[in-house]
Amino acid sequence: MRVRLSALWAAVALAAGLFVLLGYFVQFKAIQDLRLTFLHWAVLLAGAALIVGLVNLVSVHWRKVGLLEEGWIYSAVLILALVITLGLGLFFGPDNAVALFIFSNFQLPVETSLMALLAVSLVVAGFRLVSRRRDLYTLIFLATALFVMVGTAPWPLPGLGTFEVVVRDLRAWISQVWAAGGARGILLGVALGATATGLRVLLGTERPYGG
Amino acid sequence: MTGSAWQGLAALAVFLGLLLLFAALGRRLPATFRPIPAFEALGRAIERAVEAGQRVHISLGTGSTVGQESAPAFAGLAALSSIARTTSMSDRPVVATTGDAAMAILARDTLRSAYQSVGAAERYEPTAGRLLAPTPFSYVAGLPLVLATEGVAVHMLIGSFGVEAALAADFGERENAFVIAGTDDVQSQALFFATAEYPLIGEEVFATGAYLEVGGLHTASLRTQDVLRWAIIALILGGTLLSTFGVLR
Repeated sequence: MRVRLSALWAAVALAAGLFVLLGYFVQFKAIQDLRLTFLHWAVLLAGAALIVGLVNLVSVHWRKVGLLEEGWIYSAVLILALVITLGLGLFFGPDNAVALFIFSNFQLPVETSLMALLAVSLVVAGFRLVSRRRDLYTLIFLATALFVMVGTAPWPLPGLGTFEVVVRDLRAWISQVWAAGGARGILLGVALGATATGLRVLLGTERPYGG
Repeated sequence: MTGSAWQGLAALAVFLGLLLLFAALGRRLPATFRPIPAFEALGRAIERAVEAGQRVHISLGTGSTVGQESAPAFAGLAALSSIARTTSMSDRPVVATTGDAAMAILARDTLRSAYQSVGAAERYEPTAGRLLAPTPFSYVAGLPLVLATEGVAVHMLIGSFGVEAALAADFGERENAFVIAGTDDVQSQALFFATAEYPLIGEEVFATGAYLEVGGLHTASLRTQDVLRWAIIALILGGTLLSTFGVLR
């Protein structure tokens, strides 16, 4: 029975995938409508999955609190914050003043701080890179990053007109010709890889939905 | 159907044809791939983690399941399946985290199937595939706790990431974990190059399944990608030459 069920899931996934894919190429109204319907269902299911995800999130942290595992206090704070914000959102709506206050004064500053931390982390990572991976690629990577950064930043010293223009032109040449060319090459490879991944799911050999 | 639609379908048919051809050739024409240091080191790192009773953590990224950003996460799921089977006898089974709820469900299904396939269904824990947080930066904010408290020795990032990629990899480095990271976004790849010990560049993230020997079709799809990449390079060079000499306008 289990084998039959897994074959059924694979058939459903294959059929849905084929219709969505065909909808990109074939202009028949019925297929287009079916494709849109499937995509709407996918968005709805993703929304429903969020509820399952939240239950999973709470169960993970609930267990940590229950067993007093290392870092349980953070889990307790998470559960408490989740209950408060969820309750406020459910009873007063997501746009009420308290919910907006919490978002603007807790979540937004924390995420902005992480963004600021990112800059520091990258500088540290740059130094770490020099000591850990001393090869030609690292040298080119760091030199280019440094040069593009200097070329983009406001020029600190007056009276270096021609030199400044040369640096800025060189920066533009590096980022618009070399970097853009390299990025396009990477994107072509990524597109091929993504197509292969999609086809493997469509062929039913890769079944992340079980079976 | 428009001309571009026919071209798209034809390209897809060629892709599929080559994929099936290489899958059929399989063992009769064994493939030899260039060594990628990250995957060579990964095997050793996983062995060390299992022996030391430490855990492998796989991050499937912060991208949505709906849309093109799901592709690298599906590559991550293939890696998850392979590593879960390999480490099924470990004291501390693999943990997968994601910033997308639907991907968390897929991670749990993948883990369950992997353990069942090696006859170790009892190793499956529903909390091993988790939604860490639903936004990119809150996801990253949750990572240090997982890495610090769950004995993570291998921190594998295979999925869709934005700028938070740098922090996600850096937190692993701070815990002295083995960090391997790959994504589809070009800018995030640059961040991984700077922050991760073993970055996967370009489409190497999609080669994960083939290098971890997940299945024959993974090897076949990598060979197909290689053939088509050379075909595209030839077309670009040919087009450039024809355009230079005024044959194409």
